[in-house]
Amino acid sequence: MPEHVTVAVPLDEAFVSVVRIIVSGVAERAELAFEDMDDLQLAVERLLAEAGSEGRASLSFELGTGYVRTLIGPLREHGLAEALQRLDRTPGHLTLAWVLDTVVDSYGVEEASGDGIVVRLEKLVGEST
Amino acid sequence: MKQANGSPLNAAEDRELLRRFHKEGDVRAREHLVTRHLPLVRSLARRYAGRGEPLEDLEQVGAIGLLKAIDRFELDRKVSLATYATPNVVGEIKRHFRDKGWAIRVPRALQELNARMSSTIERLTSRLGRSPSIAEMASDLGVTSEEMLEALEVGSAYTTLSLSVGRGGEEDGDPLETIGEEDTNFERTEHRASLEPALHHLPSREREILRMRFEEGLPQTQIAERVGLSQMHVSRLIRKSLAVMRDELA
Repeated sequence: MPEHVTVAVPLDEAFVSVVRIIVSGVAERAELAFEDMDDLQLAVERLLAEAGSEGRASLSFELGTGYVRTLIGPLREHGLAEALQRLDRTPGHLTLAWVLDTVVDSYGVEEASGDGIVVRLEKLVGEST
Repeated sequence: MKQANGSPLNAAEDRELLRRFHKEGDVRAREHLVTRHLPLVRSLARRYAGRGEPLEDLEQVGAIGLLKAIDRFELDRKVSLATYATPNVVGEIKRHFRDKGWAIRVPRALQELNARMSSTIERLTSRLGRSPSIAEMASDLGVTSEEMLEALEVGSAYTTLSLSVGRGGEEDGDPLETIGEEDTNFERTEHRASLEPALHHLPSREREILRMRFEEGLPQTQIAERVGLSQMHVSRLIRKSLAVMRDELA
């Protein structure tokens, strides 16, 4: 039976360290390897950095057998969904999608509504990316 | 200055090795020079010990300074290699401290625990053949997982100053100020789609680390081995590089 942890965080750079601690705590419970925890922190951090600086977003973690699924949203910044779909691996052409594709096992836009998008990040336990 | 076996360094021998390396491309001569001058690096690194960074890390980054000095040494210089290398080694060590400089004041015990983590990660990764979990690291260090996570987070309390320093050293201009006018017209979606314009303004070491992580897909531990830094340091440089690149384009 998966466990769930949900928190709401202000979209404010000053709270990045709080988010990192939350992610690391969840990763520890999920028994993610140190590098995988670091990857998940980086993915969450980069997404939040693109989501503007007003309002708050929900971070919802699902800790299942062998995986951690993170839902982040709503993220209102215009163009984010499009950017996430542009996976271009041209050398020297580093993109947000490429970064996420490297550091998590899967990602995608889970929901899209007038409030913004919810992004899913999934990390498998014991499957270093 | 003495070399590892205790005999005085011979400037004439250094010069001959430098000549063989620069004129004949003799990489063994370069390796020999490194070996001869490692005691100098260790001596300089020790001056900066006890400031929250493992001595081993300081020696590694100092050795990078030595390599740069050997590579940049011009044979018509009238100074000895040791004299020429000293500011390079010290500069590299100082740069390391700037990379990891504590931006906020954190308890010494946490700083020390953070400093011990690097070698613990390396040792456990080697022993387990994989990246250790937080619980495994905590157990090895004799602390709780919560203490581990707290110490880990204080390691993020660094400045981003290093990324304002160009590859040529401290005298270089701030790359953040070298962004061309055309960049300011980028649409935000384009910014996300490509961080490429900002990539070229990063120091070469950071660019290479990003290339290895995202183009080669290497894990941080392997990158750390290649560039001679700890895995935690590589992690911080990746995060900082991406943050700075994004800020440049914002």
